[in-house]
Amino acid sequence: YHPISRGSLCPKGEAGLQALYDPDRLRGPLKRVGPRGQGQWQPIEWDEAIATTAERLRDLRARGAAHTLVTIAGNVRGLMPELIRRFLTAYGSPNYVSTAHGCETSRLLMRLTQGMDEPIAYDFERSAYILAFGVSLLEAGWSPVRQGRAFAHLRQGTPGRRARIVQVDPRLSVSAAKADEWIPIRPGTDGALALGIAHVIVSEGLYDKEFVAERTFGFEDWKDAGGRVRQGFKSLVLAEYRPEAVSAIAGVPIATIARVAREFAAARPALALGGSGASLHTNGLYNRLAIQALNALVGSVEAPGGTTVQGRPPLAPLPPVRPDAVAERGLAMPRLDGAGTDRAALAASALHALPQNLRAGQPYAAGALLLYYANPAYSSPGFARDPEVFQQVPFIVSFSPFLDETARHADLVLPDHTYLERWQDDPVAGVWGPPVLGLCQPVVEPRQKTRHTGDVIMEIARALGGSVAEAFPWKDFSDLLRAAFHGVAQTRRGLIMTTPFEEARQRRQAEAGFWLPTYKTFDEFWTQMAERGGWWDPAEGLRDLPAAFQTPSGKYEFYTLGLGLGLERPGRAGTGRRRADPAAIREAALEAVGVLARGDQVYLPHYEPPRFVGDPKEFPLHLVTYKPMASMGSRTANQPWLAEIPAGGPTRAWEAWVDINPETAHALGIHDREPVWVESPVGKLRLRARLFAGVHPEVVAIPYGGGHQAGGRWAEAWGANPNRLVADESDRAAGTPALFATRVRLMRA
Amino acid sequence: MAGPTHHAEPEDAVLFAPVLGTTRRFWLGAAPLLLLTLWGIYAYTLQLRYGLGVTGLNRPVAWGIYITNFVFFIGISHAGTLISAILRLCKAEWRRPITRAAEAITVLVLFFGLGSIIMDLGRPDRLFYVLQYGRLQSPLLWDVTSITTYLTGSSLYLYLPLIPDLALVRDRATGWRRSLYTFLALGWRGTPGQHRRLERGIAVMAVLVIPIAVSVHTVVSWVFSMTLQPLWKSTIFGPYFVTGAIFSGIAALIISMAAVRRAYHLESYLKPVHFNSLALLLLVMSLLWFYFTFAEHLTAYYGGELAEAMVLFAKVTGRYAPAFWAMAVLNFVIPVALLANRRTRTVAGAVVASASVVVGMWLERFLIVVPTLANPRLPYERGLYAPTWVEVSITAGAVSFFMLLYMVFTRLFPIVSIWEVREGRQGLKEAQQRMAGYLPGNAELAPAVSPTPVLR
Amino acid sequence: MRWGMVVDLDRCTGCQACVVACKAENNVPVSAPKSGREGRLMLWMEVIPEVEGEYPNVRARFIPRPCQQCDQPPCVKVCPVQALSKSPEGIVSRVFARCIGCRFCVQACPYGVIQFNWRAPQWPGDLREALDPDIAVRPTGVAESCDFCRHRYQRAREQARADGREVRGEGDYVPACVEICPARALTFGDLDDPNTEAARLARGPRAYRMLEDLGTAPKVYYLKEG
Ligand SMILES: Nc1nc2c(c(=O)[nH]1)N[C@H]1C(S)=C(S)[C@@H](COP(=O)(O)OP(=O)(O)OC[C@H]3O[C@@H](n4cnc5c(=O)[nH]c(N)nc54)[C@H](O)[C@@H]3O)O[C@H]1N2
Ligand SMILES: Nc1nc2c(c(=O)[nH]1)N[C@H]1C(S)=C(S)[C@@H](COP(=O)(O)OP(=O)(O)OC[C@H]3O[C@@H](n4cnc5c(=O)[nH]c(N)nc54)[C@H](O)[C@@H]3O)O[C@H]1N2
Ligand code: SF4
Ligand code: SF4
Ligand code: SF4
Ligand code: SF4
Ligand code: SF4
Ligand SMILES: [Mo]
Repeated sequence: YHPISRGSLCPKGEAGLQALYDPDRLRGPLKRVGPRGQGQWQPIEWDEAIATTAERLRDLRARGAAHTLVTIAGNVRGLMPELIRRFLTAYGSPNYVSTAHGCETSRLLMRLTQGMDEPIAYDFERSAYILAFGVSLLEAGWSPVRQGRAFAHLRQGTPGRRARIVQVDPRLSVSAAKADEWIPIRPGTDGALALGIAHVIVSEGLYDKEFVAERTFGFEDWKDAGGRVRQGFKSLVLAEYRPEAVSAIAGVPIATIARVAREFAAARPALALGGSGASLHTNGLYNRLAIQALNALVGSVEAPGGTTVQGRPPLAPLPPVRPDAVAERGLAMPRLDGAGTDRAALAASALHALPQNLRAGQPYAAGALLLYYANPAYSSPGFARDPEVFQQVPFIVSFSPFLDETARHADLVLPDHTYLERWQDDPVAGVWGPPVLGLCQPVVEPRQKTRHTGDVIMEIARALGGSVAEAFPWKDFSDLLRAAFHGVAQTRRGLIMTTPFEEARQRRQAEAGFWLPTYKTFDEFWTQMAERGGWWDPAEGLRDLPAAFQTPSGKYEFYTLGLGLGLERPGRAGTGRRRADPAAIREAALEAVGVLARGDQVYLPHYEPPRFVGDPKEFPLHLVTYKPMASMGSRTANQPWLAEIPAGGPTRAWEAWVDINPETAHALGIHDREPVWVESPVGKLRLRARLFAGVHPEVVAIPYGGGHQAGGRWAEAWGANPNRLVADESDRAAGTPALFATRVRLMRA
Repeated sequence: MAGPTHHAEPEDAVLFAPVLGTTRRFWLGAAPLLLLTLWGIYAYTLQLRYGLGVTGLNRPVAWGIYITNFVFFIGISHAGTLISAILRLCKAEWRRPITRAAEAITVLVLFFGLGSIIMDLGRPDRLFYVLQYGRLQSPLLWDVTSITTYLTGSSLYLYLPLIPDLALVRDRATGWRRSLYTFLALGWRGTPGQHRRLERGIAVMAVLVIPIAVSVHTVVSWVFSMTLQPLWKSTIFGPYFVTGAIFSGIAALIISMAAVRRAYHLESYLKPVHFNSLALLLLVMSLLWFYFTFAEHLTAYYGGELAEAMVLFAKVTGRYAPAFWAMAVLNFVIPVALLANRRTRTVAGAVVASASVVVGMWLERFLIVVPTLANPRLPYERGLYAPTWVEVSITAGAVSFFMLLYMVFTRLFPIVSIWEVREGRQGLKEAQQRMAGYLPGNAELAPAVSPTPVLR
Repeated sequence: MRWGMVVDLDRCTGCQACVVACKAENNVPVSAPKSGREGRLMLWMEVIPEVEGEYPNVRARFIPRPCQQCDQPPCVKVCPVQALSKSPEGIVSRVFARCIGCRFCVQACPYGVIQFNWRAPQWPGDLREALDPDIAVRPTGVAESCDFCRHRYQRAREQARADGREVRGEGDYVPACVEICPARALTFGDLDDPNTEAARLARGPRAYRMLEDLGTAPKVYYLKEG
C-alpha cells in the first residue's frame, strides 16, 4: 500500500479510468491544416511530427534565437519537469514558465524563513490544533486522500482525543464544514488576522519562549552591522495589530481573535497553515509569512505536529548539462515573463505577465512555444480572456493527450500517454515528513498512437544533435528513471510499499535497526517497485534543527534577511540610478512592484493592504474561486463521472453556478437557481445563482474547473471558467499571479 | 338530421336514425378527432423508440400525467356502470333514457385507464410478465385484477340491456348491419321467458357491478396510500377517490348526454328533468368532494408533520397553488354556484358546471400525484415537473380517441335504450298505482293529476 | 447473516469517492449533460450536502445515501412482477430482465434511492470498453438501485467455498464504496454477529437510522457527528 493513499483513491483517482477510455482523447499526432484555432487537423505519423518540430527548433537556434523558445509547464512532480528544464538548458532558453501559481508561494515561504528552496510540508496527523487559512485540505490542498484520512484520524481515530480544526475562509468550504469552527474572513486580510492572533499570543506571553529565543531571528528588536536598531516582530505586532484594529480590517469579531489565539497557544502541537486563499492576493507572500510566524511563535516549526520540509528521495543525480556557446548566449538572456527581474524579483515564474509581454514582443518576440501539462488558455486569466495572443507565437507544440483550449491554438499536437499507460515517478511533495517515492508502471498497453512526452523530447534532442543530444544519454524515459532510481537502491534503506500488516512488521524492524532490504540486485528492486508502487523511508524523521535553517542567521527568520536579496540586487532597478545607494535602489524597487510598506516592515510579516481591480462602488463584491474535490483544473474536465458529483450536490450536476450569500442576493432580487450576470471590469459570465448561506456577504464564489471551450464533449458541457472575469494582478512582493484580486457585481439576467 | 326512414313506424324513429347510417356531419366531427388520435399515436411511437426520456418525468417526480390520466379515466368510468346500476336497483324511473349513454362511457373509458398505465410503463413489451411473475402483494396487481374484472362486468352490463335493442335494430337494418346485429342480438325475440332471464341477468349484474366499481377506485387509491409518501399515506383515500370518481363520472355523463342530445335531436328523450336530476346529484357530489378535500387537507395541516406540511404548502401556497385554487374553483365554487340556484340549474348550466368539474377533477388527480413526488419525505431533492409535448400529445390523443369511439358507439348502437323507454311508457300506469299505494289514505283513490310527477 | 453498513457522518468528508467507485463497479451509465440537467442523474450512491443555519452560523454536513437495504423493504412488496427481492442475508436486489418499468418501487421507497433508465444508457465510444463484463448493463425503461454490490458477495462466497469455510462476518465481502472511502467513514459487516465492527458501531450511542419511525428497518446505520 502507498503510504499516502493507503489503497484508497479520491474520486479523481477513481475516475482516471475515464481518462484512459475518453472517447474524445487524441488518437495520434495532429498537424494543423486550417487557420490557427479553427480546429482543422490532419493526422500525421510520429516521424513526421518529430522531424517537423526538430526542424523548427533547429532553425530558431540557428538564427541565434534559442532563448525565444518558451515552455509553459504545469504542476507536475518527478523527473519530467527536470527533463524539460534540462532540454531548455541544453537548447539555450531561460524560459521555463510554470503554471503552478499556488505552490510558488509555499516554496518562497520556506526560502525566506528557512533558507530552503522546497515546498513546505505539514505534519497534520500529530497536531492537536489546526488553524487553516484559505487552504481546503479536504478538497484540494496537496493530497486529498491523505488529508481526508488524516482528518478521519483526527476525528474518530483515537477515542478521547479529537484535534480541533479551525478554518479561515470567506466561504464555507467542505473543509470548513467539517472543521470545528469556521471563521469567515474578508478576502485578502489573512495577514492581518494572523498578526492579530500573534498580538494576543505575544502580549499575553503565551509563546514558546525557548524556541523563539534559541531558534528564531528578528523577534526582538535588533541592531544591524551598522549599529542601527531594527524593528523586531514583537514590537511591530504589539504596536500595530491590536485585535480591535484587526477586527475592523478582517471582519472577524475581537472575541474570536482572542479566543483562537489562546486556544492555539495552549494546544501543543498547534499548526497554522495557509493555501491559495491566502497566497493568491496582491499581498499573498506577506499573508503567508504572517501565518507561518504563528507556527514559529508556538514552536511548531520543524517539530512533530508542525511544519517541515518534505524529505527528498535519494535519487541519483543526473549528469550535468554542458551547454554549447549558442546555449550559453541564450541562457544569459532575461526571461520573457520577467521573473527574477524588475517586477517579479522573487518569482521563479510569472505566468500572468506572459500574455502582455507576448503581445508587446517585450523584451523580445517569442519564437516557439511548448506546452506540457498546462492549459493556460483556460487556467491563466490573461490567456483565457484573450487566447488570440497565441497568434504572436509562430510555432506552438502541445504535448497534451487532449485537444484542450491551448492545444487548439497549436500547430502540432504530439499527444502524451495518459498516466495509466506510462512510466512515471512520483516523489510526494509537501505532505509528509519522510521521503516517499512512487513509481507508476504502465498498467495497460497504450490504447492510442500516443507517445511518452519524455521519449519524444529525447528524440527531438537527438534530432537536434550536438550538445543538445549529448544531454540525453538515455534510451528513453524509463531508462532515465532506472538510472535515477539506482540512487535509491544503493542507499539500501527504506521500505518498498507493501500491505499494511507486512509494512508494520518491517517498520518495527527498521526502527529497531535490524532491517534488511527485500532486494539484492537493482533489477529486483526495480521489479518490486513497479509491482508495489513505490518506496518510502519511515526511519527518516524530522531533521536536526540546525540543518533545517539555512538562512543567513542560521535560524528561523521572522525578519527575513532573504527578502532583502530580492529587492536590493545591485542594478536591478534599471539604468541611471546610483548603484551605490541601496536605499534608493530599494525605494525604486518597492515603488516598481507596488509594495506599500517601508522600512523594516518590508522584511517582517506585516499586513500589506490588498489591492483589487474594480472600483468598490461599481463592483461591490469580491470574486473568489475554489477547487472542488471533483475537479482537477483542465485535467479531469472531460470525465463525466466527476461532472456528476459537483460541489453543490447532485442537484447541481452539469450546471454552471455562482455561490451568493442569500442576504446579498435578496438585496438584488436574485432567487435561487435564477440566471445572473457576474460582471467584472474585464468580463462577464452568465451563471445560475446558488444561494448559499456559507459565503461571506461581500463575496461571490465560483467553482473552478468547468466551462471549457475545448477538450471534449463533457468538458464543454458543464460549469463556467471564472478566469474570464479575472483581471491581471500579481502578488506585489512575490511577483506571482494574484487570482483573487478582482471585484465584480451581480445583475439579474 | 334525417336518417333513412323507410320503416313507417314513427315511434322512436329518431333513436334508430343514427344507427342506420352515417352522415357528413358525423365525418366532419370525426375527422379532427381522428387526426388528433393519429398524432397521439405518433407521439407514442416516439416514446417507444426513445424511452420515457421524452417525457418530463425525472427524479423524484417519476409519475406524471400518465398516472394522472389513469386515475382520471378510471374515475370517469364510474359514470356509467355505477350510476346506472344504482339507479336501476333503486328503480329510479328517470334513468331509462340515460343508462346506455352512461354504461358506454364506462366500458370505453376503461380501456384508456388501462392504456394510461401501459403508456406509463418503461417496458410495455414486458407487460405480460405481470401475469407470468405477478406478485399478489403488489397493489398494482390488485389494480390490474380489479380493473379487468370491472371491464368484464361493465361490458356484460352494457351488453345485456343492449340485446333487445339490437334485435330492434336488426329488424330495421339492411346489408352488413343486419348481419352484425343478427349476430349480436343472439336470437332475441322478446319472448316473456327471454325477458325474464334478461331482467334477472341485468339485476344480478347491477348488484355485482356496484361493489366492483367501488373496489376499483378504492384499489386505485391504494396504489398511492399503500406507500409511505407524504399526503398519500391516508386512510380516507378509498372513499375520497370513489367520491371523486363518481363526481367526475356524472360530469362526464352530463356532457356526453348533452352532446348526443344535440347531435341526434333527442330533446324529447333527454329532457331538462334528466339534466336536473343529474345536476342535483352532481351538486351533492361536489359538496361531498369538498368535505373530503377539506378533511384531507385540514388533518395534514393540523398534524403539521414536516414532510406532509411541505407537500401541503407546495399545493396551497407554493408552486402548485394556481392549480390548487383553480381546482377549488372548478370543483366547488362553479358547480355549487350554478347548480344550487334553480335558475341556473338548466341544461346549459349543468353542462358548464360539468365541464368545469371534469377539468377540475383532472387537476385534482394531478395534484394528488405530482406535488407529493416533488416533495419527498427526505428533503434532499426537490423536483420540478412539466409534461412535454409528447405527454400532452399522447393525452390529447387518448381523449380524442375516446370521443371518437364514443361517437362511433352512438352510430352502432342506440344511445338511448329503446326497449327500456318503451317499457317505461308501458309501466307508467303501473307506477302511478304503485305510487298511490305508498300514499296515506285510500289506496284505491288513484290521483288523477299529480302536480309533481316523477317526470316533470 | 444480515449484511449492513455503518456510515460515520463525523468521518465523512463528502469527497464522493464512494459515488464514483459505485458507478465504476456497477456499470452505472454516465448521464448525458442534458439528462443531468433534467434531474435524471444515475447514481446508486449519492452524497447529499445538507446546509443549516444562517450566515455566519452555518453548518453543513454530507450524507452518503446508498439504498438503505431495508429489512422491511416497501419497494419489494409493491413490485408487480417480483423483479425485486430480499435475499436470506437481507440484500435487496433486482432482476433487471423482469422489470416492466412501472416505477412503483420508486414511489414506494421513502429514501428516494431508486433510479430509472429514462433513456437508453450511453457508453460513448471507448467508455464501453471500461465496463465490467460480469455486471449486467441495464436497458432503457427499467429501474435500478444499490444492491450492496451483491456480486461481490457471490464472489466472496465462491472464494469461501473454495477455501472450505464460511464467509466471514467482515473482510471477505466489502462493497466498492466501502473499499474506496479514503476517510474510512463506511464500515460493512454482518450485523447479526455482535463482534463485527459494523455491529459494534450500529449499537453505539451515535447510531441512528434514516426515517427510523417508518418501520422500514434499514440496514444502513448512520453515526451522528460529535
Ligand atoms: N481537487 C483538487 N485538488 C487539487 C487541485 C485541483 O485542481 N483540484 N490542484 C492542486 C493545486 S495545483 C493546488 S495549488 C492546490 C491548491 O489548494 P487550495 O489552496 O486548498 O485550493 P483552492 O481551492 O484554490 O483555495 C482557495 C480557497 O481559498 C479561499 N479564499 C479566497 N480568498 C481568500 C482569502 O482572502 N482568505 C482566505 N482565508 N481564504 C480565501 C477560497 O474561498 C477557497 O476556498 O490544490 C491541489 N489539489
Ligand atoms: N480561477 C482560477 N484559476 C486558477 C486556479 C484557481 O484556483 N482559480 N488555480 C491555479 C493553479 S494553483 C494552478 S496550479 C493552475 C493549473 O493550471 P494548468 O497547469 O494550466 O492546468 P491543469 O488544469 O493542470 O491542466 C493541464 C493540462 O494538461 C493536459 N494533460 C492532462 N493529462 C496529461 C498528460 O498525461 N500528459 C500531458 N503531457 N498533458 C496532460 C491537459 O490537456 C490539461 O489541459 O491553474 C491556476 N488557475
Ligand atoms: S487525484 Fe490526487 S488524491 Fe486523488 S487519487 Fe489521484 S493522487 Fe490521490
Ligand atoms: S468516500 Fe467516504 S468520505 Fe468520501 S463521501 Fe463517501 S463516505 Fe464520505
Ligand atoms: S419499476 Fe420495475 S422493479 Fe420497480 S416496481 Fe416496477 S417492475 Fe418492479
Ligand atoms: S431504501 Fe428504498 S430501495 Fe432500498 S430497500 Fe429500502 S425501500 Fe427498498
Ligand atoms: S454498496 Fe455497492 S452498489 Fe451500494 S452504493 Fe456501495 S458501491 Fe454502490
Ligand atoms: Mo497549483
